[in-house]
Amino acid sequence: MSKRQLAMVMDLNKCIGCQTCTVACKTQWTNRNGREYMYWNNVETYPGDGYPKKWMELGGGFDKAGDLQEGIIPNIQADYGVPWDYNYEELATFDFTKGSSTAGFHATTDTTWGPNWDEDEGKGDFPNDNYFFYLPRICNHCTNPGCLSACPRDAIFKRDEDGVVLVDLDRCNGYRYCIAGCPYKKIYFNPKISKSEKCILCFPRIEQGLPPACAQQCVGRIRFVGFLDDQESQVYKLVTKFKVAIPLRKDYGTQPNVYYVPPTEAPAKFDADGKIIEGSDRIPIKELVKLFGEDVHHAIKTVKAEKKKRAETGESELMDILIAYQHADMFRLDANYYQEVAKSKEPKPLAPIDDRYAKGKFTLEFTLPESHGTHEGNATHEGNATHEGNTTDEGNTTHA
Amino acid sequence: MRAIQQMRGIRHMHKILKTMIIAGLTTAGADGVIMAQKVGGINVATISPNDAIWSKAKFTPVVLYPQTTIKLNDKKANSLNGANKGLKAQVGAIYDGSSMAYKIIWSDPTNNALTGNVSDVYADGLAMQVPVNFSNPKKLPYIGMGSDDRAVLIYLNKVIPSHYEPNGNRDVSTQINHHNTNYFGEELNKFKAQVEALSSKSYAKSYISEGFRSMTQIKDGSSKFGMNMVYNPSTKAWAGVVAKSLNDGNANFSSAGAIPVSFAVWDGGKLNRGGVKKLSGWTAVKFVGKSGGDDLVKELTTPSTGDAKAGKVAVDAMCGSCHTLNASKSAPAYMAPNLSNIGGYSTNAYLAESIKEPSAVIVPGYNRNAHKAMKWYNVDAKTGKRVSTMPPMMTDDKQIANAVAYLKTLKVGVE
Repeated sequence: MSKRQLAMVMDLNKCIGCQTCTVACKTQWTNRNGREYMYWNNVETYPGDGYPKKWMELGGGFDKAGDLQEGIIPNIQADYGVPWDYNYEELATFDFTKGSSTAGFHATTDTTWGPNWDEDEGKGDFPNDNYFFYLPRICNHCTNPGCLSACPRDAIFKRDEDGVVLVDLDRCNGYRYCIAGCPYKKIYFNPKISKSEKCILCFPRIEQGLPPACAQQCVGRIRFVGFLDDQESQVYKLVTKFKVAIPLRKDYGTQPNVYYVPPTEAPAKFDADGKIIEGSDRIPIKELVKLFGEDVHHAIKTVKAEKKKRAETGESELMDILIAYQHADMFRLDANYYQEVAKSKEPKPLAPIDDRYAKGKFTLEFTLPESHGTHEGNATHEGNATHEGNTTDEGNTTHA
Repeated sequence: MRAIQQMRGIRHMHKILKTMIIAGLTTAGADGVIMAQKVGGINVATISPNDAIWSKAKFTPVVLYPQTTIKLNDKKANSLNGANKGLKAQVGAIYDGSSMAYKIIWSDPTNNALTGNVSDVYADGLAMQVPVNFSNPKKLPYIGMGSDDRAVLIYLNKVIPSHYEPNGNRDVSTQINHHNTNYFGEELNKFKAQVEALSSKSYAKSYISEGFRSMTQIKDGSSKFGMNMVYNPSTKAWAGVVAKSLNDGNANFSSAGAIPVSFAVWDGGKLNRGGVKKLSGWTAVKFVGKSGGDDLVKELTTPSTGDAKAGKVAVDAMCGSCHTLNASKSAPAYMAPNLSNIGGYSTNAYLAESIKEPSAVIVPGYNRNAHKAMKWYNVDAKTGKRVSTMPPMMTDDKQIANAVAYLKTLKVGVE
């Protein structure tokens, strides 16, 4: 476990599936350099196959005994979907006057699957009891990450200062056991560099006190960002105080740090005559229990009660938070905190380098001058010859 | 009639005995030892399996066994590799005044490269490891990439023809997708060529490691080595070569008469990578014409003197509840290193040392979060040293020798 943990809350009642978050992330990080097929942030329709296809059935995570489970690595064409190109180059010379069996302007690969292939399909009989909702997903920056546990190279690490899970690309050898180990399939193989990459929670933004791009750009203002131990943060209030935000598939055992306010506001079902069935739930509660566990009952009850309270009395702290008036309140980040962390690591800048190997016996490149070799919070990490000190391991006593 | 049959039987026995004696003699001499021939002018950087220099090499069979000490978590790879057998490779070696080179030939039904926009394709690969220090042949580094204070150098090549290492050179403008450029036609081709020119064509890398997980790439330029792999589609076999300087600052082999080496190969077609591989035990290389290293050769070629039958009784009783020994004698998963191929890739001395002194060599095994209830070792809070959770099992040297003799039989058959 890291010293502190950043977390994100997503209010599913307000997600309209506009994919602005997806685009914010894509343009910021994944539109280039082998990452084209990756969606570090995606918004899928639930129920649906999701991204990658049927990710919930691909294994990974931990069983009740705490043993890492086997998993399957998705195929780029069949499961993720290839970002296809069009034949722009041919168009300059293409003779449109000639009869052709294929369209002059066409995709250069078979377009048989892609992210959101089944967008808005959902389940049930339209219009009586069909339903769906949007499920935005990023890396959960788990407290007990499946990817980190699966890596035989110790190439994945969890930052002590905020719990962000990162890949040390210097150490990564592209084995992809991390992909099998992550039950959310939120770590990806980059074939161009032959290494794994994942959501970095926009740490360069966070270190400047800015929220991740996906949260900043969200037009529905569904995303809250803050430290779980910061009682002033709305994240703390939603997760710990009101307990209306709960993690996705807690049963995978990775202790995810993205929390969801479950969808409570679906319209009622219709009967055969098209009349409203009063008190009916369009979204089956068992589906929500599957995603969010039994805690979902309490969360739904609380949201509904607070909504009623707000309607009756005009006051509800929970509703005020969920309305999301001010970005300043929704995102409680602290650039000063990161500056302090960076100072403590000088002269090495705050960079995505795994401390365990930063001054390892064999990493000559990163050897620091003697006087700056260690500092208190990091002493066992840097001086550690046995490469112990896995950040989520109890062996790491100085960080307790 | 009966007498003749008996005679025939005796004569047959004689023949068998004679063969056995010859085999025994060969073992004591050259069998299982890679005889490195002295040549002139090895070009380390450009070494290739097709170089004429290899005509002087003599080849020795080396068996590589499937790594089963730990089980990795790729479901498909596990199902494809569960019934793997040992693989007999042919290894030849040459050396000159400043360098040594190895040629390994092994069969592989398919030539698998990692190219294109793929997520679940894996490359064939080859690695060689050598200990940094082998002055005590009884305390060689752990075969799984060394152990604490017993470092190994590792040379790895994979069939990954064109890739882009993050290089810190700030060539960011070439990292964008070509559709994000304003180029068209000729200019676009030029841009694509500019990008391609920045790629690394060879995946060959060198590492230093003090145990599984700690392997760290040598990037300071101190490692002088060369690797190359060529697939022969008609014989369906790879020929791989590794050349390295005898003294590159990481280790000095200049004065050694013999050294231990070990090889590993990966079959990309069966989703091999990382720990899903086949590896050999420490194998002696004798530099023909150089003196010394006899004790090392002896240590690595002398079979265990113990009584395997007696050893089996003791090992089954004392080790079997934590260690999986073979398909019919399995312990709870992840409990302890799986020993079902330990005879294929361990030395007698290592096995004896580990029985007597389990903390002498710690197998780091799984990430400690992966199987929390099954700790293979604890970390001493004071010294920071890893202490095995296995207690010393046997103290009597004869009993240990028997156990070693039995453990050496634990391996799958050869293809």
